[in-house]
Amino acid sequence: MADVIVGQGLTKVYGTTQKTYALKGVDLNVQKKEFLSIIGQSGSGKSTLLNLLGLLDRPTEGSLELVGTDVGSLSKKERAAFRNEHLGFVFQFHHLLPEFSVRENLLMPGWIGGQRTSTSATRARAGEMLELLDLGDVKDKRSNDLSGGQKQRVAIGRSLMNGPDIVLADEPTGNLDTMNTEQVYSLFRKVHEERGTTFVIVTHDRSIAEQTDRIVEVRDGVIQQDVRNEHLASPGSHPRAS
Amino acid sequence: MLSLRVALRFIARSRFQSLLIVFGIAVGIAVQVFVGSLITSLQASLLDSTVGNSPHVILEPAEKGGTFAYTEAIRSLVEDTPSVTAAAPQIVVPVLATKGGATASLIVKAGEFAGLDGIYKLSKRTVQGEARPGPEGLLIGKDFANTYAVAAGDMLPLALADGTLVDARVSGIFDLGVQAVNEGTAFVDPGLLATRLGLAPNEVNVVETQIDDVFLSSTVAEAWRTALPQLEVGDWQERNAELLIALQSQGTSSVMIQVFVVIAVMLGIASTLAISAVQKTRQIGILKALGMSDSSTGLVFLYQAGILGFAGTLLGLGLAAGLIALFSSLAAGPDSGLFPIDLQPSFVAFSAGVGISIALLSAVIPYRSTARLDPIEVIQGG
Repeated sequence: MADVIVGQGLTKVYGTTQKTYALKGVDLNVQKKEFLSIIGQSGSGKSTLLNLLGLLDRPTEGSLELVGTDVGSLSKKERAAFRNEHLGFVFQFHHLLPEFSVRENLLMPGWIGGQRTSTSATRARAGEMLELLDLGDVKDKRSNDLSGGQKQRVAIGRSLMNGPDIVLADEPTGNLDTMNTEQVYSLFRKVHEERGTTFVIVTHDRSIAEQTDRIVEVRDGVIQQDVRNEHLASPGSHPRAS
Repeated sequence: MLSLRVALRFIARSRFQSLLIVFGIAVGIAVQVFVGSLITSLQASLLDSTVGNSPHVILEPAEKGGTFAYTEAIRSLVEDTPSVTAAAPQIVVPVLATKGGATASLIVKAGEFAGLDGIYKLSKRTVQGEARPGPEGLLIGKDFANTYAVAAGDMLPLALADGTLVDARVSGIFDLGVQAVNEGTAFVDPGLLATRLGLAPNEVNVVETQIDDVFLSSTVAEAWRTALPQLEVGDWQERNAELLIALQSQGTSSVMIQVFVVIAVMLGIASTLAISAVQKTRQIGILKALGMSDSSTGLVFLYQAGILGFAGTLLGLGLAAGLIALFSSLAAGPDSGLFPIDLQPSFVAFSAGVGISIALLSAVIPYRSTARLDPIEVIQGG
């Protein structure tokens, strides 16, 4: 299976006079259709790694290839377009736009990508997504009128609307109760199995990470452990320590 | 067009703030249009009342106290000058008027009624009797009439400088709005004096003219000086230098007021839009994280400023029109002491342009801060 993420020597340094190394030469390859988690304590560098993978930040050193594209050579504008076309984001604080309805929030990535609102394909996709996420009843409500679980489901729907190659989720259940947490992971799994989308989920909760196929543990800016989850991983995959 | 859609949502979402900006622009534009129109109309009114009923360019003999022939060539030169609206060739002489044992000096202007009426608007300013003096008639000012208890129809003998007595009858009494003129000036038909003074039919000692644009008087005078070197040519601007300075100062102060109003409005809009940009930082960060470009997110604030600027300008022009209509209706009342204000289309267009331009210019700060915003600041901040 082809690698959709190829990161080599990824280093991120903050500060100039007093340098702080958030990542220290991380190598990370992720295959297409993988469902993996990145775990680590606060300040371990896991979110920094996700920000680099999501093109929200640039590495100080190292190279990164996403979906066969050397993203290090892209301009700011090209990186924005790449994010829109190939990546989906789910954040801990959902980050919905309160000025827009649930349906419009789902359509937003398509609008940014230049899709016309009137195309029947876009409308149909939004309709399917609302059904998949069980949000049909609240599609015209503003995001501020939704519960925490509903907001996060909208955020998941938004991340999937443009049919991304990779979904990057940063503590997606950090603010949710147990029931909603289960719902979110069930959704991720369902989408992963039905669409074959690659998922990279950052979490500090090991019990959640154990539901994924591969666990990458980051500590002090380096990958401490990279293992296949024996209970859930597909036959033939092997745990690997880095 | 996503930027426009987002801009409209931001405006709708922050209704109160949007209304504040619109009213801020509207008040600024209304003040600018009203003050500008007020001062322009005040100048026009002042000009009309000061030089509107007096000659603008005057032809006189080179030698003081002399006369000259108002030849066909001079008449053609004067009347064929495009800006000339009235010309009154006259004999102006000092006389002594006798009434009930009292003697008063008067400056008598003897000229054709059409010319005199063109300059002094006698038809409109006659308050008693007939405006047209007729062959033996005499028009006097209301202050002279009040002082010497003279009424229309009364006989008023005039003594010329050589002692010759001329019988004249007061045909009408005028009010030109200037006490000195109302007290000491009279108008007669040229026939009343010409023969008694032994003058030729076209012999005059002054030709008074009016032109449509009073500020062209210097140009017209200069042209006539060249064409008529034998005559002395004067114009109101050189004879009223202080009035001219006052009018120019008023014009300058009008420009200054408008400049400061524009600056105040611009600062108001810029600060409110900058606050709006700060308030919307989270949304802009999210849009950027989803792939919206720097220029598209910057356009959101440009559209916002444009829409608010357009709405504010329209409302401001409406407010200004209302204020001007109110002022004009008050001015129309009898003895209001006010002057009518004219709303000039070119000034309205200029103010509308200024309103929308300053709004767009005010969007520069949020545009730049939005372009600089890194989505990671928002995403990490929660």
